[in-house]
Formats: sequence, structure tokens, C-alpha cells
Amino acid sequence: MTDPDCDIGPDTGPTSRAPATRRSPFFIQLGGLYGIWLREVKRAIRDRGQLVGGISRPILWVLILGIGLNPYFRGEVYGEVTFVVPFTYLQFIFPAVVALNVMYTSVQSAISVIWDREFGFLREVLVSPMSRGMVLLGKVLGGATVAMAHGCLVLLLARFADVPLTWLAVLKALGLMAMLAFALTSLGVVIANRIRSFEGFGVFSNAVILPLYFTSSSIFPLDPALSRSQTRVVYPEWLVTIVEYNPLTYAVDSLRGVLINYNQFDPRLGIAIMAIAGVVLFTIALFDFRKA
Amino acid sequence: MPNALNSEPAIRIDNISKRYGRTLALDGISFDIRNKELFALLGPNGAGKTTLLHILCTLLRPDSGVAQIRGFDVVKQPLAARRLLGIVFQEPSLDDRLTVRENLNLHGLVFGVPRKLRRQRIEEMLDLVELTDWADKTARTLSSGMKRRLEIARAMIHDSEIMLLDEPTVGLDAQTRERIWTYIRRLQRERQITVLVTTHYIEEVEGCDRVCIVDQGKVLALDTPEALKRDHGQQLLRIVPKDAEVRQDILTRFGDRLAGDPGKAGDTILLTSDDAFVELMLADFGNRIRSLAVEVPSLETVFLTLTGREIRDHDAGARERTLAFGKRGGEHTR
Repeated sequence: MTDPDCDIGPDTGPTSRAPATRRSPFFIQLGGLYGIWLREVKRAIRDRGQLVGGISRPILWVLILGIGLNPYFRGEVYGEVTFVVPFTYLQFIFPAVVALNVMYTSVQSAISVIWDREFGFLREVLVSPMSRGMVLLGKVLGGATVAMAHGCLVLLLARFADVPLTWLAVLKALGLMAMLAFALTSLGVVIANRIRSFEGFGVFSNAVILPLYFTSSSIFPLDPALSRSQTRVVYPEWLVTIVEYNPLTYAVDSLRGVLINYNQFDPRLGIAIMAIAGVVLFTIALFDFRKA
Repeated sequence: MPNALNSEPAIRIDNISKRYGRTLALDGISFDIRNKELFALLGPNGAGKTTLLHILCTLLRPDSGVAQIRGFDVVKQPLAARRLLGIVFQEPSLDDRLTVRENLNLHGLVFGVPRKLRRQRIEEMLDLVELTDWADKTARTLSSGMKRRLEIARAMIHDSEIMLLDEPTVGLDAQTRERIWTYIRRLQRERQITVLVTTHYIEEVEGCDRVCIVDQGKVLALDTPEALKRDHGQQLLRIVPKDAEVRQDILTRFGDRLAGDPGKAGDTILLTSDDAFVELMLADFGNRIRSLAVEVPSLETVFLTLTGREIRDHDAGARERTLAFGKRGGEHTR
């Protein structure tokens, strides 16, 4: 019987045994993490469809919707300015479009977990010496990186949206995007793990992404000039409640704070919520992933 | 070289059971696979072959029983067990968007093969499965046979000692199947590894060292192909009598040896036989029959005798529907 403590048996084969087994386990895990991350990034670069979506989506939102609705943003009623958001509509939705692009891409790459696990490459990784946690981390980090890149694609449109960007603002925005992308990719994995049969991305887009996006105060502001009770008079109460309970509201708000310097809530709230959501969702995803 | 290690089996399977809901996929299965042998697991679809392989590669946990890879328990020491294994799954598990070389490199990274050795092994293995010219093409451009070869190469990148192949030749044409087997045998010979291969093609297991026939989660027979034929195969005698009278004569005398329905085969009578019976037959009926043919037992007759002939159908599960969706080119699947 082999001693269970002895990890590797003595040399037996005539071919030289891989020194792989002599490397420290930490480096093996790290190398594997890099491999899985690299694979996600390479795949995304080679996926034309995803790239087209990542470019056309913000263009539609910023150029068509943004410019189209721009004149109606600060509507006046009987000579009284109803909204006191000191920005154009284009400027207002610009940070939200960044969040939208990050969102689509994160959830998209998380969905590939289903395919990977059932039929593809994940099977092959799950029988490797990599721990499940590292496999998942590599996958989520890879997805988050791609999502961040897609978020940056939106930043290229800043000039058209009349949003002046400083390097500091871009840097801060990158940090926020990274947190958002990590949390959303984890969310995608959690959902993907609960779905046995996969029938397309449309379901996710309509049932998860768009509802979350529309109710995150992304395309309309809750007027900051109004008190809480007044807000509930202007807007139906259910909508205000949903917006306030939607965690994405606070993420969009933080991005807005960084990019156009406008906050509806405490900017620290967004960071805290994203950090907590990231940790909690990743933990749930890991728990599911270990089981599967 | 320590002798203790040679006598220890490469894979030990001891009383493994696995149940999916109400169906018992594996029913207390036990056998050993010796070091450096080419071992075939033969069984019809749904016999439990894939389930057993998934337990060995630690993707599934057995409900009861113990499985060891070179002494490492697959449940208690999965990482150590996995390091020794090279696996080729039934469904392709390549990344279609990565190139051939990138696929191999990813595998090497994930298995912790140092860079220098990784590069060396990648070239060696590409050469072995004759894919060097395709190294920088994406995997999606390969034919299914080439994908299989690439997967075999990949399973060897980390110098695995035991290779598990789940139906490596399913869905391939005859030439490609032969080629895949050539690579498997060459690998086994040159690298001195243990190979466990599952298949439901009977003709493929002739060249294996030992064959284990499984069905409905049980071992039906385990031996060398020759011994299986000897023990379970039945020699048959195919006789065409000269006229109806002789035919009736044979039928009344050897009715208990009748194999198959005599009404269906036209004039031919099929009798179970052995060497002594052939001589007796020739002596008694030699001048009254038109033809006589001895059918030597083949693995096919062994297999069919042991597993029965009926085809087992089942409806497509969620997994198969998803696979079909991906094959239709479903979004974000590839």
C-alpha cells in the first residue's frame, strides 16, 4: 500500500517523470489560473459576434437614444424646471451605458460555463490537479477582464457624449468596472449553475440584464431635488422601491460620480455594495461549482 | 526497480456501485487493471462504462466501494490520482477557438508542466499524432478524427502514466478508427503506459491484452480475447442438406443442438458444435449434405451471447438536448 502522505510514488516509468509534480503546488495553481484566464481573453478576442455587440450596443445607446432624448431631458412644466440634474441626457446616461456594456459581457462569458462544464473544456480542467476554486477564479477573472475591456470601449465614445475624461477619472472608473464585472460574472455563474438545460442567451438578456439595467436609475434620474416622500408622489411607489433595492443602482451611481461628478447617493455605498456582492456571489458560485 | 510497485495494479476497482435515481448504473463492479496493459471495457450503450470512467477520473463519486489509481483513492486523494491520469472524453473537450498548440499549452499550464518541458512535450506529441502541420490552426478547423488525435496528444502532455479513453473511435470512419488505434498502441508501447479504453465496437478489442465485458453495471466476463472466445464462444456448424428427407433426419437427431429458427434460414441448418461433433456429422451425413461450414467463435458471438441482442432505446435527457442545441450552432455555446 502506498503511504497516503507520500504524494508521488518513486520513479517507475522508463520515460523521465514530469518534474511538474516536483513544483510547489502554489505555482501549479497560479500557472493554471493564468492559463484559464488567458483562454477566456483569447476566446473573447476571437469572437466576432461578441465584439460587434460590444461596439454597436454603446453606439446605439449613446448616439441614438442619448442624442434623441437629449432635448426632452430637462422638460419644463408651466415654466417650472422639473429636473435639476445639471447635465445633458447624453452625459447622464453615459456612465450607465458603461455599466450596461460591462453587464452584457460579464453575463455572456459566465453563460459559457454551462457549455464548458457539460461538453467542453471545463471537464478537462476539472480532472486536472487544479482546485475547483482556482478554476472558477480563473474563469471569473477572465470574464471580468473581457467585460472591463468592453466597458472601456464605451469610454472611447466620451467625446461624443461631451464627457471630459481625466486620467484619474479613467483610473477610478477602471477600478469600479473591475468590481462590477467581477460581481456580475459571479452572478452569471450562479445563475448558469442553476440551469440544467441551456436554451440561449436571449432568456438571460430579457430576464436578468435588461430589468436590472432599467431599474437602476440608469436611464432616468430620481430627482434629487425632491424629498423622499415627494419622489414617491412623482413616481409610482413600486418603481421607487425597486430602484432603491436594486444593487446596480448604486454601482451606476458610483460610476456617475467618477465620470461626470454627479451622485444621487453616497458614492461609498456603491463601492461597498459591489465589494460585498462580489464576495458573496463568488462564494455562492464556488459552493455550487464544487457540488457540480 | 521496486518489485512491489510492479505487482500493484495500475487501477483497482473494488465493489463500486453508482445509482442515478432509480437506475443502478454500476452494480458492485470489481476488477483490477494491471500495470502497462491495454485493457478494453466492452459493453453496449448504457452499460455503465462512462459512469465507471467518470468515477475513476474523480468527476463522479461512487455511492459505495473503493477505486484506486496506483494506490491513490479517487475519493480521498483526487488530486494525486488525477495527476497520473490522461483522459480522453467521449465528447470532444477541446476549445474550438484556440489553436491546436494553444489547446496543448493550456493543458500543460493547468497540469503545472514547466514551460521548457511543456514546449518539448507539445512538439513530441504533435509529431506523434502527426498534427505538426496543423499546430497553428484553430481547433474548429480540424476534422473529428484529427480532434480525437489532438485529444490523445493532450492527454500525454503531462506525462500521464495511465490513459483513460472513453469511446475514442465512436462516430469515426473505419480508416480513422484504425489510425486512432495505431496511435494508442504506439503510445502504450513506446511510453510504457497503462491504457483503459471503453468501446462498443467488438472488432476493436481483438488486439487488447485483456477485455472486460460489462452490461447493466455488472462484469459479465474478463479475460484475454482468446480465452473469452474459448470459454464463452460457441462454434457453430452451418449445414445445407441435399433434400428435405435428409433435413428432417438431421433435425430429429440433433434437435437439441439447433441454434436459431430452422424455418427462417431456408435450407440451412445451424447447429451448435465442437470438433468432435463435426467429425460425427461428417461420418454420418458426409455424403448426404450439400455443404458444411464451421463457424469459429468470434468476440462478436461472445459479446452477443453475454449481453443479448435487444437494442435499448431511451429518450433524450436535458443534457442531450443541450448538446443538440450547441450542434445547431446555438448562441454562445462555442
